[in-house]
Amino acid sequence: MSTYVYGITRASSSPLRQDMDGIGDPPRPVRVLRQGELAAIVSDAPDQLRPKRRDLLAHQRVLDEAGAGGVVLPMRFGSASPDDDTVTTVLAERADLFLERLRALDGTAEYNVKANHDEEAVLRLIMTDHDDIRSLAETNREAGGGTHEQKIRLGEMIAAAVQAREATDADLLQQALRPMADAVSAGPQSTGWLANLSFLVDRGSAEQFLASVDALRQEHPHLELRVNGPLPPYSFVDAASSQQAEGGTAEAFGAAAAEPNG
Amino acid sequence: MTVATQQGGGGGSSGLYDVLELILDRGLVIDAFVRVSLVGIEILKIDIRIVVASVDTYLRFAEACNRLDLEAGPRKPAGLPELTGQLTESGARGKTKGALAGAAETISDAFQQARDEGRERQGDRAARRRGE
Repeated sequence: MSTYVYGITRASSSPLRQDMDGIGDPPRPVRVLRQGELAAIVSDAPDQLRPKRRDLLAHQRVLDEAGAGGVVLPMRFGSASPDDDTVTTVLAERADLFLERLRALDGTAEYNVKANHDEEAVLRLIMTDHDDIRSLAETNREAGGGTHEQKIRLGEMIAAAVQAREATDADLLQQALRPMADAVSAGPQSTGWLANLSFLVDRGSAEQFLASVDALRQEHPHLELRVNGPLPPYSFVDAASSQQAEGGTAEAFGAAAAEPNG
Repeated sequence: MTVATQQGGGGGSSGLYDVLELILDRGLVIDAFVRVSLVGIEILKIDIRIVVASVDTYLRFAEACNRLDLEAGPRKPAGLPELTGQLTESGARGKTKGALAGAAETISDAFQQARDEGRERQGDRAARRRGE
Protein backbone atom coordinates (compact mmCIF):
# COMPACT_ATOMS: atom_id res chain seq x y z
CA MET A 1 0.00 0.00 0.00
CA SER A 2 1.63 3.20 -1.06
CA THR A 3 1.27 6.48 0.81
CA TYR A 4 -0.16 9.59 -0.78
CA VAL A 5 1.52 12.80 0.40
CA TYR A 6 -0.40 16.09 0.52
CA GLY A 7 2.13 18.36 2.12
CA ILE A 8 4.79 18.93 4.70
CA THR A 9 4.36 21.04 7.78
CA ARG A 10 5.88 21.58 11.20
CA ALA A 11 5.27 18.91 13.79
CA SER A 12 4.22 21.75 16.09
CA SER A 13 1.39 22.89 13.77
CA SER A 14 -2.13 22.67 15.10
CA PRO A 15 -3.39 19.11 14.88
CA LEU A 16 -5.63 18.28 11.94
CA ARG A 17 -9.32 17.83 12.39
CA GLN A 18 -10.17 14.20 13.11
CA ASP A 19 -11.72 12.11 10.33
CA MET A 20 -10.63 14.39 7.53
CA ASP A 21 -11.33 12.87 4.14
CA GLY A 22 -8.51 12.50 1.66
CA ILE A 23 -8.44 11.34 -1.92
CA GLY A 24 -10.00 8.16 -3.24
CA ASP A 25 -13.44 6.61 -3.38
CA PRO A 26 -14.25 5.87 -0.65
CA PRO A 27 -12.12 8.73 0.70
CA ARG A 28 -9.01 7.57 2.54
CA PRO A 29 -8.64 9.06 6.03
CA VAL A 30 -5.95 11.71 6.37
CA ARG A 31 -3.23 11.09 8.93
CA VAL A 32 0.02 12.68 10.02
CA LEU A 33 3.51 11.18 10.02
CA ARG A 34 5.89 12.93 12.41
CA GLN A 35 9.64 12.98 12.20
CA GLY A 36 11.62 15.36 14.39
CA GLU A 37 10.41 18.92 13.86
CA LEU A 38 8.52 17.99 10.71
CA ALA A 39 5.28 16.27 9.85
CA ALA A 40 3.89 14.94 6.59
CA ILE A 41 0.17 15.03 5.89
CA VAL A 42 -0.65 11.75 4.19
CA SER A 43 -3.27 9.12 3.52
CA ASP A 44 -3.21 5.72 1.94
CA ALA A 45 -3.02 6.02 -1.84
CA PRO A 46 -5.85 4.53 -3.86
CA ASP A 47 -4.79 1.77 -6.23
CA GLN A 48 -5.66 3.78 -9.28
CA LEU A 49 -4.76 7.39 -8.76
CA ARG A 50 -5.85 9.62 -11.58
CA PRO A 51 -6.40 13.34 -11.83
CA LYS A 52 -10.10 13.20 -11.21
CA ARG A 53 -11.93 16.29 -10.10
CA ARG A 54 -12.91 14.69 -6.79
CA ASP A 55 -9.30 13.90 -5.98
CA LEU A 56 -7.98 17.27 -7.11
CA LEU A 57 -10.53 18.87 -4.83
CA ALA A 58 -9.61 16.59 -1.95
CA HIS A 59 -5.93 17.41 -2.37
CA GLN A 60 -6.70 21.11 -2.35
CA ARG A 61 -9.13 20.85 0.58
CA VAL A 62 -6.72 18.91 2.80
CA LEU A 63 -3.98 21.46 2.15
CA ASP A 64 -6.35 24.28 2.77
CA GLU A 65 -7.46 22.93 6.14
CA ALA A 66 -3.94 22.04 7.14
CA GLY A 67 -2.79 25.52 6.15
CA ALA A 68 -5.19 27.03 8.63
CA GLY A 69 -3.18 25.43 11.42
CA GLY A 70 0.23 26.60 10.26
CA VAL A 71 2.39 26.97 7.18
CA VAL A 72 2.36 23.97 4.82
CA LEU A 73 4.54 23.06 1.87
CA PRO A 74 2.02 21.72 -0.66
CA MET A 75 3.06 18.74 -2.75
CA ARG A 76 2.21 18.69 -6.42
CA PHE A 77 -0.89 16.61 -7.04
CA GLY A 78 -0.21 12.90 -7.43
CA SER A 79 2.86 12.42 -5.23
CA ALA A 80 2.97 8.98 -3.65
CA SER A 81 5.61 7.31 -1.56
CA PRO A 82 6.14 3.54 -1.60
CA ASP A 83 5.36 3.45 2.13
CA ASP A 84 5.23 5.48 5.35
CA ASP A 85 8.86 4.76 6.20
CA THR A 86 10.08 6.34 2.99
CA VAL A 87 8.18 9.50 3.90
CA THR A 88 9.74 9.79 7.34
CA THR A 89 13.16 9.00 5.90
CA VAL A 90 12.77 11.87 3.41
CA LEU A 91 11.67 14.18 6.23
CA ALA A 92 14.74 13.24 8.25
CA GLU A 93 17.23 13.48 5.40
CA ARG A 94 15.99 16.82 4.07
CA ALA A 95 14.89 18.43 7.31
CA ASP A 96 17.07 21.50 6.84
CA LEU A 97 15.69 22.22 3.40
CA PHE A 98 12.06 21.80 4.45
CA LEU A 99 12.50 23.86 7.62
CA GLU A 100 14.11 26.63 5.60
CA ARG A 101 11.16 26.70 3.17
CA LEU A 102 8.67 26.63 6.03
CA ARG A 103 10.42 29.58 7.62
CA ALA A 104 10.47 31.46 4.34
CA LEU A 105 6.76 30.91 3.75
CA ASP A 106 5.58 31.45 7.29
CA GLY A 107 2.62 33.80 7.45
CA THR A 108 2.18 34.02 3.71
CA ALA A 109 -0.35 32.79 1.16
CA GLU A 110 -0.46 32.55 -2.59
CA TYR A 111 -2.87 34.71 -4.53
CA ASN A 112 -3.31 33.81 -8.16
CA VAL A 113 -4.44 36.51 -10.55
CA LYS A 114 -5.68 35.75 -14.03
CA ALA A 115 -6.49 38.47 -16.48
CA ASN A 116 -8.53 38.52 -19.65
CA HIS A 117 -9.54 41.28 -21.97
CA ASP A 118 -13.14 42.28 -22.22
CA GLU A 119 -13.16 41.92 -25.97
CA GLU A 120 -15.51 44.72 -26.84
CA ALA A 121 -13.76 47.11 -24.49
CA VAL A 122 -10.34 46.29 -25.87
CA LEU A 123 -11.56 46.61 -29.47
CA ARG A 124 -12.84 50.06 -28.59
CA LEU A 125 -9.47 51.00 -27.15
CA ILE A 126 -7.71 49.73 -30.24
CA MET A 127 -10.01 51.61 -32.58
CA THR A 128 -9.40 54.73 -30.57
CA ASP A 129 -5.64 54.32 -30.47
CA HIS A 130 -4.97 53.20 -34.04
CA ASP A 131 -5.99 55.61 -36.78
CA ASP A 132 -5.08 53.15 -39.52
CA ILE A 133 -7.29 50.42 -38.11
CA ARG A 134 -10.17 52.80 -37.56
CA SER A 135 -10.08 54.18 -41.08
CA LEU A 136 -9.80 50.73 -42.64
CA ALA A 137 -12.74 49.59 -40.53
CA GLU A 138 -14.76 52.57 -41.72
CA THR A 139 -13.86 51.91 -45.32
CA ASN A 140 -14.90 48.30 -44.96
CA ARG A 141 -18.13 49.19 -43.29
CA GLU A 142 -19.06 51.65 -45.97
CA ALA A 143 -18.42 48.91 -48.51
CA GLY A 144 -20.85 46.65 -46.70
CA GLY A 145 -18.12 44.82 -44.79
CA GLY A 146 -15.50 44.79 -47.50
CA THR A 147 -14.05 41.97 -49.51
CA HIS A 148 -12.69 38.81 -47.97
CA GLU A 149 -9.16 40.14 -48.38
CA GLN A 150 -10.03 43.48 -46.79
CA LYS A 151 -11.62 41.73 -43.85
CA ILE A 152 -8.61 39.55 -43.36
CA ARG A 153 -6.28 42.52 -43.57
CA LEU A 154 -8.34 44.43 -41.00
CA GLY A 155 -8.57 41.39 -38.75
CA GLU A 156 -4.85 40.81 -38.97
CA MET A 157 -4.13 44.37 -37.93
CA ILE A 158 -6.57 44.10 -35.03
CA ALA A 159 -5.13 40.75 -33.91
CA ALA A 160 -1.64 42.25 -33.87
CA ALA A 161 -2.86 45.24 -31.89
CA VAL A 162 -4.73 42.99 -29.44
CA GLN A 163 -1.65 40.88 -28.87
CA ALA A 164 0.49 43.94 -28.30
CA ARG A 165 -2.09 45.20 -25.86
CA GLU A 166 -2.09 41.85 -24.04
CA ALA A 167 1.64 42.13 -23.49
CA THR A 168 1.34 45.72 -22.30
CA ASP A 169 -1.46 44.86 -19.93
CA ALA A 170 0.32 41.79 -18.54
CA ASP A 171 3.25 44.03 -17.79
CA LEU A 172 1.06 46.67 -16.22
CA LEU A 173 -0.53 44.09 -13.97
CA GLN A 174 2.79 42.78 -12.76
CA GLN A 175 4.18 46.26 -12.17
CA ALA A 176 1.11 47.33 -10.25
CA LEU A 177 0.82 44.31 -7.96
CA ARG A 178 4.45 43.35 -7.51
CA PRO A 179 5.08 45.94 -4.78
CA MET A 180 2.28 44.43 -2.70
CA ALA A 181 3.84 40.96 -2.67
CA ASP A 182 6.93 39.23 -1.33
CA ALA A 183 7.42 37.37 -4.57
CA VAL A 184 5.78 36.79 -7.91
CA SER A 185 5.70 33.70 -10.07
CA ALA A 186 4.49 33.57 -13.64
CA GLY A 187 2.06 30.76 -14.29
CA PRO A 188 1.67 29.02 -17.62
CA GLN A 189 0.85 31.25 -20.57
CA SER A 190 -1.96 30.53 -22.91
CA THR A 191 -4.67 32.17 -24.93
CA GLY A 192 -7.05 31.55 -22.05
CA TRP A 193 -5.73 34.56 -20.24
CA LEU A 194 -3.33 37.33 -21.03
CA ALA A 195 -1.67 37.08 -17.65
CA ASN A 196 -1.49 34.32 -15.10
CA LEU A 197 0.49 35.51 -12.10
CA SER A 198 0.86 34.12 -8.62
CA PHE A 199 1.82 36.45 -5.83
CA LEU A 200 3.20 35.47 -2.46
CA VAL A 201 1.40 37.78 -0.08
CA ASP A 202 1.91 38.32 3.60
CA ARG A 203 -1.35 37.39 5.28
CA GLY A 204 -1.28 40.73 7.05
CA SER A 205 -1.20 42.56 3.71
CA ALA A 206 -3.84 40.47 1.97
CA GLU A 207 -6.50 43.14 2.22
CA GLN A 208 -4.16 45.71 0.79
CA PHE A 209 -3.32 43.38 -2.05
CA LEU A 210 -6.97 42.75 -2.87
CA ALA A 211 -7.66 46.46 -2.69
CA SER A 212 -4.94 47.03 -5.26
CA VAL A 213 -6.53 44.47 -7.57
CA ASP A 214 -9.81 46.26 -7.17
CA ALA A 215 -8.22 49.58 -7.94
CA LEU A 216 -6.85 48.08 -11.15
CA ARG A 217 -10.32 46.89 -12.08
CA GLN A 218 -11.68 50.38 -11.63
CA GLU A 219 -8.88 52.02 -13.51
CA HIS A 220 -8.81 49.58 -16.43
CA PRO A 221 -12.33 48.38 -17.13
CA HIS A 222 -11.17 46.51 -20.24
CA LEU A 223 -9.35 44.07 -17.93
CA GLU A 224 -11.23 41.16 -16.40
CA LEU A 225 -9.33 40.09 -13.30
CA ARG A 226 -9.95 36.90 -11.39
CA VAL A 227 -8.27 36.44 -8.04
CA ASN A 228 -7.98 33.16 -6.18
CA GLY A 229 -6.63 33.06 -2.70
CA PRO A 230 -5.51 32.55 -0.10
CA LEU A 231 -4.03 29.36 -1.55
CA PRO A 232 -1.32 27.02 -0.29
CA PRO A 233 1.93 28.43 -1.70
CA TYR A 234 2.04 26.02 -4.67
CA SER A 235 4.18 28.32 -6.77
CA PHE A 236 6.68 29.17 -4.06
CA VAL A 237 7.56 25.89 -2.33
CA ASP A 238 10.36 25.09 -4.65
CA ALA A 239 12.76 27.97 -4.49
CA ALA A 240 14.52 26.98 -7.68
CA SER A 241 12.77 24.69 -10.05
CA SER A 242 9.06 25.23 -10.33
CA GLN A 243 9.03 28.26 -12.55
CA GLN A 244 10.15 27.31 -16.00
CA ALA A 245 10.69 23.58 -16.04
CA GLU A 246 7.18 22.46 -16.79
CA GLY A 247 5.48 25.70 -17.51
CA GLY A 248 4.04 24.38 -20.73
CA THR A 249 2.13 21.55 -19.15
CA ALA A 250 -0.87 23.63 -18.38
CA GLU A 251 -1.20 25.36 -21.70
CA ALA A 252 -4.08 23.12 -22.52
CA PHE A 253 -5.81 24.52 -19.49
CA GLY A 254 -5.79 27.81 -21.29
CA ALA A 255 -7.85 26.19 -23.98
CA ALA A 256 -10.35 25.18 -21.39
CA ALA A 257 -10.29 28.63 -19.88
CA ALA A 258 -10.99 30.20 -23.22
CA GLU A 259 -14.32 28.47 -23.52
CA PRO A 260 -16.48 30.84 -21.54
CA ASN A 261 -19.64 29.01 -22.44
CA GLY A 262 -18.31 25.51 -22.58
CA MET B 1 -17.57 47.92 -8.74
CA THR B 2 -18.01 45.34 -6.03
CA VAL B 3 -15.19 43.08 -5.08
CA ALA B 4 -15.40 40.03 -7.31
CA THR B 5 -12.66 38.24 -5.48
CA GLN B 6 -13.06 34.52 -5.36
CA GLN B 7 -11.83 32.73 -2.34
CA GLY B 8 -10.04 29.58 -3.33
CA GLY B 9 -10.13 28.34 0.21
CA GLY B 10 -12.93 26.73 2.06
CA GLY B 11 -12.53 23.38 0.42
CA GLY B 12 -15.40 23.73 -2.00
CA SER B 13 -15.01 23.49 -5.71
CA SER B 14 -15.14 27.26 -5.90
CA GLY B 15 -12.13 28.38 -7.77
CA LEU B 16 -10.93 24.88 -8.59
CA TYR B 17 -11.24 25.56 -12.28
CA ASP B 18 -9.08 28.63 -11.91
CA VAL B 19 -6.33 26.96 -9.90
CA LEU B 20 -6.15 23.54 -11.53
CA GLU B 21 -2.89 24.31 -13.25
CA LEU B 22 -1.36 25.22 -9.90
CA ILE B 23 -2.45 21.96 -8.28
CA LEU B 24 -1.22 19.92 -11.23
CA ASP B 25 1.77 21.89 -12.32
CA ARG B 26 3.17 23.60 -9.23
CA GLY B 27 3.85 22.38 -5.73
CA LEU B 28 6.71 20.46 -4.24
CA VAL B 29 8.16 17.53 -6.16
CA ILE B 30 10.33 15.08 -4.27
CA ASP B 31 12.32 12.59 -6.28
CA ALA B 32 11.98 9.85 -3.68
CA PHE B 33 8.23 9.87 -4.31
CA VAL B 34 6.54 8.72 -7.46
CA ARG B 35 4.04 10.82 -9.27
CA VAL B 36 1.61 8.14 -10.19
CA SER B 37 -0.84 7.64 -12.99
CA LEU B 38 -0.47 11.07 -14.45
CA VAL B 39 0.88 9.78 -17.70
CA GLY B 40 -0.64 11.83 -20.43
CA ILE B 41 -0.88 15.15 -18.68
CA GLU B 42 2.45 16.27 -20.04
CA ILE B 43 1.24 15.43 -23.52
CA LEU B 44 -1.48 18.00 -23.04
CA LYS B 45 1.12 20.60 -23.79
CA ILE B 46 -0.11 22.14 -26.98
CA ASP B 47 0.42 25.48 -28.49
CA ILE B 48 -3.05 26.84 -28.92
CA ARG B 49 -1.67 30.27 -29.54
CA ILE B 50 -1.53 29.31 -33.16
CA VAL B 51 -5.29 29.71 -33.15
CA VAL B 52 -4.85 33.45 -32.62
CA ALA B 53 -2.97 33.87 -35.86
CA SER B 54 -5.54 32.24 -38.07
CA VAL B 55 -7.82 33.43 -40.80
CA ASP B 56 -10.79 32.50 -38.64
CA THR B 57 -9.62 34.83 -35.93
CA TYR B 58 -8.96 37.64 -38.37
CA LEU B 59 -12.41 37.35 -39.85
CA ARG B 60 -13.96 37.23 -36.42
CA PHE B 61 -12.14 40.39 -35.37
CA ALA B 62 -13.14 42.12 -38.58
CA GLU B 63 -16.78 41.17 -38.01
CA ALA B 64 -16.67 42.25 -34.38
CA CYS B 65 -15.11 45.51 -35.40
CA ASN B 66 -17.76 46.01 -38.04
CA ARG B 67 -20.49 45.59 -35.50
CA LEU B 68 -18.78 47.85 -33.01
CA ASP B 69 -20.65 51.10 -32.88
CA LEU B 70 -18.15 53.59 -31.59
CA GLU B 71 -20.83 56.15 -30.92
CA ALA B 72 -22.99 53.87 -28.82
CA GLY B 73 -22.45 52.94 -25.22
CA PRO B 74 -20.90 49.68 -24.10
CA ARG B 75 -23.14 47.06 -25.61
CA LYS B 76 -22.19 43.51 -26.43
CA PRO B 77 -22.32 42.60 -30.10
CA ALA B 78 -24.75 39.70 -30.16
CA GLY B 79 -23.21 36.33 -30.59
CA LEU B 80 -19.60 37.34 -30.29
CA PRO B 81 -18.74 35.65 -27.00
CA GLU B 82 -20.31 32.40 -28.18
CA LEU B 83 -18.27 32.51 -31.33
CA THR B 84 -15.10 33.01 -29.33
CA GLY B 85 -15.87 29.96 -27.26
CA GLN B 86 -16.57 27.74 -30.21
CA LEU B 87 -13.47 28.70 -32.11
CA THR B 88 -11.14 28.18 -29.23
CA GLU B 89 -12.82 25.01 -28.20
CA SER B 90 -12.64 23.40 -31.58
CA GLY B 91 -9.04 24.53 -31.93
CA ALA B 92 -8.03 22.93 -28.68
CA ARG B 93 -10.09 19.79 -29.08
CA GLY B 94 -8.79 19.26 -32.58
CA LYS B 95 -5.24 19.26 -31.34
CA THR B 96 -5.68 17.12 -28.26
CA LYS B 97 -7.79 14.42 -29.86
CA GLY B 98 -5.81 11.54 -31.17
CA ALA B 99 -2.66 12.37 -29.31
CA LEU B 100 -4.16 11.44 -26.00
CA ALA B 101 -6.03 8.70 -24.32
CA GLY B 102 -7.72 8.33 -20.97
CA ALA B 103 -5.80 10.79 -18.90
CA ALA B 104 -6.68 13.68 -21.13
CA GLU B 105 -10.34 12.77 -21.04
CA THR B 106 -10.25 12.58 -17.27
CA ILE B 107 -8.66 15.99 -17.11
CA SER B 108 -11.13 17.49 -19.50
CA ASP B 109 -13.97 15.97 -17.50
CA ALA B 110 -12.55 17.59 -14.42
CA PHE B 111 -12.40 20.88 -16.24
CA GLN B 112 -15.88 20.52 -17.58
CA GLN B 113 -17.31 19.82 -14.17
CA ALA B 114 -15.35 22.54 -12.51
CA ARG B 115 -16.38 24.88 -15.26
CA ASP B 116 -20.04 24.01 -14.88
CA GLU B 117 -19.88 24.71 -11.21
CA GLY B 118 -17.88 27.81 -11.81
CA ARG B 119 -20.58 29.04 -14.13
CA GLU B 120 -23.34 28.46 -11.66
CA ARG B 121 -21.36 30.25 -9.05
CA GLN B 122 -20.41 33.10 -11.32
CA GLY B 123 -23.89 33.64 -12.61
CA ASP B 124 -23.43 37.36 -13.05
CA ARG B 125 -20.26 37.00 -14.93
CA ALA B 126 -21.67 34.31 -17.19
CA ALA B 127 -24.73 36.38 -17.87
CA ARG B 128 -22.61 39.34 -18.76
CA ARG B 129 -20.51 37.24 -21.10
CA ARG B 130 -23.57 36.00 -22.84
CA GLY B 131 -24.43 39.58 -23.47
CA GLU B 132 -27.53 39.79 -21.34
